[in-house]
Amino acid sequence: MATFPKLKTNAVAQYPATRALRYQNQTVRFLDGTDQRYRDASGPMHRWTIRLSEVDEGELAMIEGFFLSNQGQFGSFVFVDPWDGTSYPSCSLAGDQLDLTAVAEMQGQTNLTIVENRT
Amino acid sequence: MFPQLPTGALSQFPLRKRRLSRTVVNTMADGRTIKLPDVAAQVTEWQLQYTGLSDPELATLAQFFASVEGSLNGFTFLDPNGNLLAWSDDPSQVEWQKASFLTLTGGGADPAGGTCAWHVSNSGAGAQSLSQTLNAPAAYIYSLSAYARAAQPTTITLLLGSQRAARPVGTQWTRFTIAGMGDAEATSVSFGIELPAGAAIDLYGPQVEPQPWASAYKSSTTGGIYENAHFRDDAFTYTSTGVNRNSTTVNIVYANHL
Repeated sequence: MATFPKLKTNAVAQYPATRALRYQNQTVRFLDGTDQRYRDASGPMHRWTIRLSEVDEGELAMIEGFFLSNQGQFGSFVFVDPWDGTSYPSCSLAGDQLDLTAVAEMQGQTNLTIVENRT
Repeated sequence: MFPQLPTGALSQFPLRKRRLSRTVVNTMADGRTIKLPDVAAQVTEWQLQYTGLSDPELATLAQFFASVEGSLNGFTFLDPNGNLLAWSDDPSQVEWQKASFLTLTGGGADPAGGTCAWHVSNSGAGAQSLSQTLNAPAAYIYSLSAYARAAQPTTITLLLGSQRAARPVGTQWTRFTIAGMGDAEATSVSFGIELPAGAAIDLYGPQVEPQPWASAYKSSTTGGIYENAHFRDDAFTYTSTGVNRNSTTVNIVYANHL
């Protein structure tokens, strides 16, 4: 399976990077004010937002190629969490849009959001 | 074809590019998803911002905009920030024309720290070339660049249309470049590297760009030539910021399904 690409520095992300953890629970509320809660999914889902700047043209092309090979959010890949090194075997890009900006030579910018797939 | 500036550049910084794809997603109650790709719905957009354009440069752009009648008619657009070659890291693909006595072996160490270099050897008695022909406007200015080294110093020849440039290759990785235009009447341009008889080199990062100078190497698979691109808008607006100084922004869109 494909792996999320690394920058030339061998880093996956730059600062600021965002990581989110999301559970999916349901709550049934009763007339007397009590409620009953249950899990609607088997576990938490992870989501990472990676903002890249000051990347060179080659790195930007690598990100673009990765987006194309995944066909946007369709494909799945292995993502290694840059916070703790945990490898998540099935992740996807969150959307079907990728914006790339070349501000100047060797100063590319782009944002990527990665979501863990429920398997 | 979309006009190059007199400097040979196709755009200025900042250059914005947007890739859009379409995926049909069915999300289940527990968060699992079933996805269906729609490959034909891929769209690529560029936003080119020009500043400091001279009056003739602006007139060239305006004239081109008028000639295609805004968003009505398509034209060939070359990605200003892309590598026009297809499969630049894999010369074994069919897009590459390989002479019969050339032998290619992939997986070699490259100067970027990866393993994308190719060992190319010529076992024939004459010069042999590795080339790619692009359906690109011949009147453009292009640059062809590639990294090469050789265990035994030799000379390679860079090919750009009918132009040839000999370059000595030593034992260290060196980037070689040739710039120029294609043949005036041609509808395509060939780019390649020729090895003399018996020569062997390590080759990495062949790149063609629609500008006179090479920028950082960009690995490519699909190439950067977009036939039947369109202006996104029907209006061409520009601002004169001084004498012989103008600015404008144009948006170009390419859709696979059009």
